[in-house]
Amino acid sequence: MTEPQRIAAGTPYGTGRSWLAALGKYLVLLLFATLSLYPLLLIVSTSLKDPLDVTADPFELFSSFSPVNFYDAWTLGGFGTYFWNTVVITAITVISVVALSSLAGYALARLYFPGNNIVFFVFILGLMIPFFSVMIPLFYELKSLSLLGTKAAVILPAIAGATGFGLPLGVFLMRSFYMDLPEELADAARVEGATEFQVFRRIMLPLSAPGVAVLAVLVFFQTWNNFLLPLVYLQGSENQMLASGLYLFAGGRTGEYELAAAASLIMTVPVVILFLIFQKYFIRGLTAGAFK
Amino acid sequence: MQTRSEAGAPARQKRGVVERYVYVPPLKRQQMYHAILFISPALALYLVFMLYPFLNTIYLSFTNWNGATVTKDFVGLSNYVKMVGDGAVLRAFYNNVIWVVIGTISPVVIGLFLALLLWTGARGSLVFRTVYFLPFILPLVVVAIVWQWIFHPLFGPFNKVLDAVGLEQLSRGWLGDPNTALYAVLVSAIPGATGLVVVILFAALQNVDVSQVEAAKIDGANWFQRAWYVVIPQLAPVITLVTSITLIGGFAVFDNVFVMTGGGPGHASEVLGTYTYQVAFQQNQAGYGSTLAVLMTALSLVSAVVFVRLRERQRDD
Repeated sequence: MTEPQRIAAGTPYGTGRSWLAALGKYLVLLLFATLSLYPLLLIVSTSLKDPLDVTADPFELFSSFSPVNFYDAWTLGGFGTYFWNTVVITAITVISVVALSSLAGYALARLYFPGNNIVFFVFILGLMIPFFSVMIPLFYELKSLSLLGTKAAVILPAIAGATGFGLPLGVFLMRSFYMDLPEELADAARVEGATEFQVFRRIMLPLSAPGVAVLAVLVFFQTWNNFLLPLVYLQGSENQMLASGLYLFAGGRTGEYELAAAASLIMTVPVVILFLIFQKYFIRGLTAGAFK
Repeated sequence: MQTRSEAGAPARQKRGVVERYVYVPPLKRQQMYHAILFISPALALYLVFMLYPFLNTIYLSFTNWNGATVTKDFVGLSNYVKMVGDGAVLRAFYNNVIWVVIGTISPVVIGLFLALLLWTGARGSLVFRTVYFLPFILPLVVVAIVWQWIFHPLFGPFNKVLDAVGLEQLSRGWLGDPNTALYAVLVSAIPGATGLVVVILFAALQNVDVSQVEAAKIDGANWFQRAWYVVIPQLAPVITLVTSITLIGGFAVFDNVFVMTGGGPGHASEVLGTYTYQVAFQQNQAGYGSTLAVLMTALSLVSAVVFVRLRERQRDD
């Protein structure tokens, strides 16, 4: 996140006239912070509850301690399997989107190609198509390709842009990124005898690393968290992902709050950790459009 | 010969359409082969798994296909006629409009207020922004499940808070009551959207001209006057942007509603997304479901176009 512009109390926009105003300000800020954190706190508390304590009151904060819920959710609940399925599906999707949109974005930005504007427009169209617009025929398409229930049933649509953060966004981001890079570098390499692929791989791709990072982070979050895609295309499959598995578990066994909470945490912890590490890229990706 | 050498000049690269039929010099030709090679994999996947099913949705919307039969009977506009008279669709559309209006206005207003408070030099600003942003990155399924717990009729912390402040007569099964179900689900979506608004607006505030704010303060404008007349006008383009992000997504909302109420009780909290899912995959009406999907697409596109127009107008000013 960008560092705040320092405005001391009492200067232009500072409210610092009275301590009462300052107190009010922090009360409002803290109130909303509590509201933001409470759901997360409730999951952590419930996931650590003793099953007996859950029947008494599942939502009293931190009334007992029983880390065995994580083991039970991971093994008996099947969330260990869902976790690895989600890891594999997300990893393949992220790598594919980054690789394919770097290639296509570079070609559209930098290489001589008569139809480039039409192709770019066709990709951009995908940014405006919500998943519901493709959901139904895609189900039957995957079915006739015998892909329904396989990991590919989520991976292929996710790469193509069904989650909203696939190739259309990738091509758009990477193309604008390559357009800002200096052309002279590529020409110099061409003079030295580099092939077009070498120019891309050795010079342009390394220079586009920040753009690649932004794209990878956005695609990761969108794929990991996506619910509807696995719900529709992995129904009853052993390739179930965390989001749909969690929904089925929480809906099916309403009494076992502690296991649902532990499973929620299994799904959430990687997201939170990666967010804290890659915060900068994440925010940059989301705010990029805001200032263009 | 003259045309040849001119076609090779880089300045003419943009006018490739004509040159394609005339003469393409070796360097360009080599670039073109590479371009085709680089674009093809992405384009192929996109065409097969996005554009083709998208066109197929439009086609299916004119059929009464049930997903199982070999033939798809063309029924003209009858699905569209059915949709207009379908009470559940009207209810869902109405709920979507409520979702869009409340789900857009409240995060933007709350987010703007919080961003302004942080901008005026609060300690721990980075910590606050990180905390506010957390709900936005949480999986929606997890958010929905927790809020389902919070609104639990028996154990729910929300009812407990009401009891504690003496409003126990208001306690109820918030998600089971047709009058409150939609609003209870809507509440679950607000912290995440607000976090996004805070972060984007806070970044935008860094570009606001402080000297104008200072001048207004000297002229005796209070906090709200300075915000309303000096700061907010400068933020207008970004406010339009965040509004449009929440607005366009509002017609495609699914996860929170589906997990928390499934659209019920009855159709009380039904939105177009949950109804389309139900029609397509629980009643196996692929044709009618596609018609509903076309409606959702149209609504998203209309809001996108409205947004683009608004931005253009702001730029012209």
